[in-house]
Amino acid sequence: MKTGFFKQYSKQLIAAAVILVICIVLAILKPAKDELMSHTSPEMQKMIEADESSSRKRVTVTYNDLFIINYASLSTSGAKVMSEKYVGFVGKVYPADEGVMKVTGQMVNYTYRMLGCGENLMHGAKLTILLTTLTVIFGVVLGTILALAKISKKKWLSGLASAYIFFFRGTPLLIQLFVVYFTVPGVCGFAWRDIFSASDAEAVYKGAFTAALIAFGLNSGAYCAEIVRSAIQSIDKGQFEAAKALGMNYFQTMTRIIIPQSVRRMIPNVSNEFIMVLKDASLVFAISLMDITTISKNIMTSEGSYLVFIPALVIYLVITAFFGFIFDKIEKKFSVYE
Amino acid sequence: MSDNYEYILKTEHVSKRFGTLEVLKDINLQVKKGEVICIIGPSGAGKSTFLRSLNQLEKITSGKIFIKDELFLHRENDHTVDRLLREKQQELLLEMGMVFQRFNLFPHKTVLQNVCEAPVIVRKENKDEVEKRARDLLEKVGLSEKADEYPSRLSGGQQQRVAIARALAMNPEIMLFDEPTSALDPELVGDVLQVMKELAESGMTMLCVTHEMGFAREVADRVLFMADGIIAEEGTPEEIFTNPQAERTKNFLNAILEA
Repeated sequence: MKTGFFKQYSKQLIAAAVILVICIVLAILKPAKDELMSHTSPEMQKMIEADESSSRKRVTVTYNDLFIINYASLSTSGAKVMSEKYVGFVGKVYPADEGVMKVTGQMVNYTYRMLGCGENLMHGAKLTILLTTLTVIFGVVLGTILALAKISKKKWLSGLASAYIFFFRGTPLLIQLFVVYFTVPGVCGFAWRDIFSASDAEAVYKGAFTAALIAFGLNSGAYCAEIVRSAIQSIDKGQFEAAKALGMNYFQTMTRIIIPQSVRRMIPNVSNEFIMVLKDASLVFAISLMDITTISKNIMTSEGSYLVFIPALVIYLVITAFFGFIFDKIEKKFSVYE
Repeated sequence: MSDNYEYILKTEHVSKRFGTLEVLKDINLQVKKGEVICIIGPSGAGKSTFLRSLNQLEKITSGKIFIKDELFLHRENDHTVDRLLREKQQELLLEMGMVFQRFNLFPHKTVLQNVCEAPVIVRKENKDEVEKRARDLLEKVGLSEKADEYPSRLSGGQQQRVAIARALAMNPEIMLFDEPTSALDPELVGDVLQVMKELAESGMTMLCVTHEMGFAREVADRVLFMADGIIAEEGTPEEIFTNPQAERTKNFLNAILEA
């Protein structure tokens, strides 16, 4: 099994190893933070030293470490406005006040912020990945239940499942999100942040995250139901008959025979669903969660930088590629018997 | 379960309709323990449907089915008139093993897992004991070295022998074979028939729908010739093959022997 895996993915693994080694080398060669800071002008250094003994800071220092490259930005406000930016890369420190290095510095800073580095799980790419993964897990579980209900011989049950699927596929996800986030607590008389402790500084974000997870999960469940249903119905009728002839009941037949076989057939579609959810997750900007999209939009608004969307796209692509690989691997793992 | 019964399996006036199509018309059959019965006949005669309705893969339209002299199911016009309690039904159904034309092995399980699945899951038997029995059964069908293979790596004949072992693992008293060799390449038929023959010799009660006339002639205690949903003729292999009475039996056998 292990050797099989290495053989199967030898090219990708070698490529990944080469990239990793290059990154590690670049990370080792990268100048340290102190070195970056030592390039600042004497005037700026004086102000930083003065700040250390003063309660009122005059210099705003931003330091972003992106593993292979780092970036420092120092700016003052008040009587004398100064701004200095530096990029550190492969043993050298470059001033980043203009030209290519300025753009590079900006990109490092934007990427750093959109990835949510230095922040908790409720920020940037971490939020997006967490929300997407949980949504798809929620969606597949709910979708399986809905699919079994839909193919049930009980008319009311399959009708109920059909109605559910019809509703959630037939209305915009954004409005579903609004309903869960605004309407439901409004009608029921609670606030999403209340489900977390009042002393939790992130309660608002966690509350919004919960609402988003519920809305996306309910929606994804409707799509996953169709994925699961078509996978189950693609299983040969003889499998049901063999299980029945051996005395298995419906539950045993489904859990031991039919669903394990359906899983492999679901994976390509679930992978697709994952990518759809990943992109749909950007809708959380409407309930002010700080995901990649929201952060990029905020940067655009506050700094007027139209270039911010390029690293945003790259981050989404990298996430998609990574999970595409994972799903591919899972599919191969489930295909051993074919 | 009492062993004091006259017939292990009995049907009275069994009929089956698919819409307006009458597939089985008034089938009456009595099977004694240990009997080997081969059902032959042209395609569309209702042979498979009859076999499948015995272990409830098809619901009969009307008629009575008795297992070990107990009224298992009585239906009239697609409505159940009388039946055993569900648990009792289930218990009796487990006395019937079935082998399908298309094997229907579980492709995601290895050969050994295929054989062990039902005794462990349905009968809740001890896993180690079942595995030991499964290995014995696989040896009996000549496939002990394939225990850890997936069915897709096996030939059709091997798959069918695994399917037989899988059915036997439940310790059934009756084995139903639904054209077990029809989906096989000709050179693979022999091994499967050999296994079935040994099974018959061991005293298993068997009902086989088959096109293998040689097998029917050699192994069967009784041969049923079915056509158009009725048992057109029944008798010993000798009677059916050497001296058929019904016109349709004669035509069928002539057509087969000429081919």
